Amino acid sequence: MIGYMLRRLAQLLPVLLIASFCIWAMIYAIPGGPVGMILGENATPEQIAALRAELGLDRPVIVQYWEWLTRALGGDLGLSLHSRQPVASLIGERLPATVQLGLAATVVGLAIGVPVAVASALRPGSWLDRTLSIWSALALGVPTFWLGILLILLFAVHLRWLPSASGYLPLWESPFEMLRNTLLPAFTLGMYVSGIFARFLRASLVSELRADYVRTARSKGLPEREVVGLHVMRNAMLPFVTIVGLMMANFIGGTVVTEAVFTYPGLGRLLITAISTRDYPLIQGCILVILVIYIVINVMVDVLYAYIDPRIEYA
Amino acid sequence: MRRSRELARRVFAHRAAQASLAWLATLILLSLFTPLLPIDPLAQDLLAELQGPSAAHWFGTDELGRDILARVIYGARTSLMTAAGAVAIAGAIGVPIGLLAGFFGGWRDAVLMRLVDVLLALPGILLAMAIIAVVGRSQAAALLAVGITGIPSFARITRAQVLSLRKRDFVVAVEALGGSAAYIMFRTVLPNSWSPILVQVVVLSAVAILLEAALAFLGIGIPPPTPSWGEMLRTGKTFLYEAPTYAVLPGLVLTLTILSLDMLGRVMASVLEDRHEIEAPAALQGGRP
Repeated sequence: MIGYMLRRLAQLLPVLLIASFCIWAMIYAIPGGPVGMILGENATPEQIAALRAELGLDRPVIVQYWEWLTRALGGDLGLSLHSRQPVASLIGERLPATVQLGLAATVVGLAIGVPVAVASALRPGSWLDRTLSIWSALALGVPTFWLGILLILLFAVHLRWLPSASGYLPLWESPFEMLRNTLLPAFTLGMYVSGIFARFLRASLVSELRADYVRTARSKGLPEREVVGLHVMRNAMLPFVTIVGLMMANFIGGTVVTEAVFTYPGLGRLLITAISTRDYPLIQGCILVILVIYIVINVMVDVLYAYIDPRIEYA
Repeated sequence: MRRSRELARRVFAHRAAQASLAWLATLILLSLFTPLLPIDPLAQDLLAELQGPSAAHWFGTDELGRDILARVIYGARTSLMTAAGAVAIAGAIGVPIGLLAGFFGGWRDAVLMRLVDVLLALPGILLAMAIIAVVGRSQAAALLAVGITGIPSFARITRAQVLSLRKRDFVVAVEALGGSAAYIMFRTVLPNSWSPILVQVVVLSAVAILLEAALAFLGIGIPPPTPSWGEMLRTGKTFLYEAPTYAVLPGLVLTLTILSLDMLGRVMASVLEDRHEIEAPAALQGGRP
């Protein structure tokens, strides 16, 4: 098991290295390079030479990259150009907000997606199945930012039940306020994934229901509830776990748009601000953190899948 | 040729696909002939700002008194052109990568597909944002960013297609007759791979339009004053109390376009799947904004 985990990590290592190299090389690709970025356009040649020596730009590229990477791995992502605060602490402040929103959206997605999938898989081709498939097509096709705007119009502008801009409050500090603030963004994001969940689980359930063991279970007189609940669900859940995990990995960066709609103070908003103010160390830090989390969750999903499905060989 | 006509016939027979095609055809016609229409997306009328829908302005007016419908129609042009350009970029790079990787296999396959994996190491919108962070905000940047995010799916679909055709008799026959690698790839394998690639073109167009709108909504897409649906939603959102229809109507047009392309892609995929021509339905593209 541990060997399998290590092998998966080893497979992803080149991807991680190349991607982190691209992130590091980003500041060299911008006009003016890292020196121009810090000093601006009106720098004297002396200033430029001094800064180049200070930043170590005269050394081989590989050495520079390696130093950046080892410092980043040690938690030192440099200073933000604007606030002069450590990038790592700026990200650390915003990460919990994004994680909480991502988890809330996953809960919403599962709460809607699973019942929809089960209801439509039990009677494929029925009117209910067709209606629900239109519904999941809508969930997938309606852009999150438009759905978010419609929800704000209805619940904040028209009914005045919920705030139009959502703040971040930890669940354990004020559960009620947290719900009030997270409900709309979580629903906006959760609606989209519920479409994915519903479609995948339905396909997986429909193919399981055709399996021989289902016929055996039915013919020995098991009630349908047990056939579906005990046998089919368990098998159909296996591939589904992967999808849920991948979606959660996606949320780490995928909340960008939703956070913008609800002016929610998460990692995505931080990245947008960093891009519009050209705060490159902050951009690099945000993307690197998102990349690492994304890949780690992907590996965890693989491992979890291998763990719950004994048929997978680790070799 | 006969096969693609058969495909078209079966797609046309589908009622949802007909509706989608009708909507898309309207958009395409409007964007082709926008300069001939008696509308001006930039004409300001500061006395008539933020009005709701009326006979004079069907979709109302924006904060500068510009006609929102005119801007939506010009925005269609922006969207469709970005989608076409981005899909062309993605296909021009992704299809050859898939062809080479699938045809040669071995280390070339490993290297090419690892590079494609790097593009997939971030959700699409973040990759696009990173590219814009480097090259700056411009129309070309938006096009490039959206295009690059589409490369992996073309590469993968084409590679899968090559792998499944590689050992088929007609390919082996051309090989035995001494056809060069380039001849087999471009004249034998590629012409037989068009249908799944075409489905991918439709699916990716939806992704590209959505991505362009999302980038504009975030304020880092095509810069103003070029009318863009995403940009209209962004500004409209700040006037939700004064003019609720401002953000709603352009969003509705965007949504109908995405839904039409999704539907068309799904019908095409299911028609092809019936004929066992593609490995998996293309309907699902992870990492959507």
